Amino acid sequence: MRKYVIAALCCLLSLFALAGCKSSVPENTVFSVDDLSGKKIGVQLGTTGDTLVSEYEEDGSGTVVERYNKGNDAIQALKQGKVDAVVIDIQPAKAFTEANSDLTILEEEFVNEDYALCISKSRPELKASINEAIRALKENGTLDNILKNYIGEDAGKTPYVTPEGTEHSNGTLVMATNAYFKPYEYYEGGEIVGIDVDMATAIADYLGMNLKIEDMEFDSIITAVQSGKADFGAAGMTVTPERLKNIDFSDTYTTSQQVIVVRDNDAIGANSNIIEKFKNDFLTDNRYEFLLTGLRNTIIIAVCAALMGILIGFFVAVIRSTHDKTGGLTIANFICNIYLTVIRGTPTMVQLLIIYYIIFGSVDINKLAVAILAFGINSGAYVAEIFRSGIMSIDNGQFEAARSLGLTYKKTFIYVILPQAFKNVLPALANEFIVLLKETSISGYIGLTDLTRGGDIIRSNTYDAMLPLFVVALIYLVLVVILSALVKKLERRLRSNERRL
Amino acid sequence: MSADYNDSDVILRVEGLKKAFGDHVVLENINTTVKKGEVIAIIGPSGCGKSTFLRSLNLLETPTEGHIYFHGTDITDKNVNINQLREKIGMVFQHFNLFPNMTVKKNIMLAPVQLKLMSESEAEKRAVELLERVGLAEKANAYPDMLSGGQKQRVAIARAMAMNPDVMLFDEPTSALDPEMVGEVLNIMKELAESGMTMIIVTHEMGFAREVANRCMFFADTKIMEENNPKELFENPQTPRLKDFLSKVL
Repeated sequence: MRKYVIAALCCLLSLFALAGCKSSVPENTVFSVDDLSGKKIGVQLGTTGDTLVSEYEEDGSGTVVERYNKGNDAIQALKQGKVDAVVIDIQPAKAFTEANSDLTILEEEFVNEDYALCISKSRPELKASINEAIRALKENGTLDNILKNYIGEDAGKTPYVTPEGTEHSNGTLVMATNAYFKPYEYYEGGEIVGIDVDMATAIADYLGMNLKIEDMEFDSIITAVQSGKADFGAAGMTVTPERLKNIDFSDTYTTSQQVIVVRDNDAIGANSNIIEKFKNDFLTDNRYEFLLTGLRNTIIIAVCAALMGILIGFFVAVIRSTHDKTGGLTIANFICNIYLTVIRGTPTMVQLLIIYYIIFGSVDINKLAVAILAFGINSGAYVAEIFRSGIMSIDNGQFEAARSLGLTYKKTFIYVILPQAFKNVLPALANEFIVLLKETSISGYIGLTDLTRGGDIIRSNTYDAMLPLFVVALIYLVLVVILSALVKKLERRLRSNERRL
Repeated sequence: MSADYNDSDVILRVEGLKKAFGDHVVLENINTTVKKGEVIAIIGPSGCGKSTFLRSLNLLETPTEGHIYFHGTDITDKNVNINQLREKIGMVFQHFNLFPNMTVKKNIMLAPVQLKLMSESEAEKRAVELLERVGLAEKANAYPDMLSGGQKQRVAIARAMAMNPDVMLFDEPTSALDPEMVGEVLNIMKELAESGMTMIIVTHEMGFAREVANRCMFFADTKIMEENNPKELFENPQTPRLKDFLSKVL
């Protein structure tokens, strides 16, 4: 066992080393907007940049648009030479270039745009009150102060504070955002902060309501607002005709530009060493806490979902094999078949999104519970088939011998069939749990901080992709190795029964 | 109902039994009675339905037509509690079918304890007794996988006897054994027969059938082709079918 762990660690370390020696990236070739044509352009999926750049794709010049889930991923790709330029909002672009001296922003801006909050079309009264709040905040200078607090030379001097005597008696306002968009929304010390957050707080204060922030993927925000999961979306969102088809927007609260970020040919390779990076990634601001929270959630989801999966799988398998053996339980068997077909025939991620956004669309429900439910139901289908194959693998003579002694079908199952079946399926079952553990890494899609997303949050703060990803991978690896070792032990104990004198 | 219906000596009565798998008829219009203490050997070519007949007697096969009465109760009746009746019909299989997940002793104790016929300690005592009887007392705590074929079959016989059955069905009990192990199993069965147990044995061991059985049935072409005491049946076969069969096996 120890041998394997050491071998695995060696592999990982050599990966580190490989990643360390950076291969040289190509020189920058984009110097103005006109140069974009025919290049590889990185954007964040679903942003204005995405929409605008997409037009280049159709002009026949061979332009390729790479769409990333996060602006940060696009910037990483740019650094590694996978794309030639990134089109992104000016404020995050500034934050990126500050943190990466090898990148620069072209002076010529790509396009000007207006930011607004998105609100469901079915709630005109909410739109009216938010617009009224924005108007008031503009008039009394609050909005200006918030912007100044994050952008420009006086940053940090005029933080927003809730006016004294504000009452929050009108309920809760839920804001959907994607907290990877500095300085509009980002994580700092475990909290989501930024211009949009302060402004939303000010609006909520004005309306006498509490603010609750839901962090999710950028392209999920509009869905969340439509489905009622959130009251409004604030994520540096620009009004576009495409978006207006599905959602309404408030008045503009600020303007911004889309700019082009490229590699700086003159920059000296100023990469800090790995120890500095490690400190910055995990120790500064106690960033390791994101990983701990994530790890805790990952384990909770995996363990609870596994138990639920076993429970569901057990009953489905018993129903199905009883039907196979006796021809009874036709209706229950039919329902089980539908369950198996649907769950095994659709991707886990789609199931997770459906459960969160549609089934529990307008219900305020704990995300952990949603994840456990989704992964439990999903795993149940696979476990059911594993159990069933285990039951069917037991020789029919075992059934007949037990029944011929007068044991009932149920007792035959409990004392004769299941103990043997369980032993047979243990390796397959263990494999299913390993898959399940790793599959929980998609929990980030409903804005749950699992291990993977914990690493992503660190990445979005430090703009370093390598270390957080490797550490996350290492933690998963350790979990799986421990799990495998435990299963092996259990297996050996069950098997030893039959051999020992 | 016929006169011997209430005869307390009759353990099993089969009336007009038919069994078909789809269109393929295996047994048709089988009629017979089994009295207490009888040892019946069933012989016949393979595929003649003798195993199917035996398995019908405790409803491991559901008859297509006809009735089977066990102590006067029609076991083919849907309302009959077949589990309760099976307690009194022991069965020994060609492939032993011991439960590999429990020790020899637990194999024997399982049914009496689970069906609440004996307490744990009573069942254990009985198991040890039975194992002594089949000569395997020292294997009580062994697992089935550690036994030879002959030993497994002796345990299987002990397991069936633990329920104190009124009749025991043997489905080719020595067919899966190496030749040198056949004797030990037949000896146990012989002792059992001498102790007065009612037995129905599907077998290919003609010598054994002749020596131990007091009635012999020859199954062929979906029916009981001939039935007689063993001596007559073997020495004086009436049908060409049986003559042909005996010339091949003897």
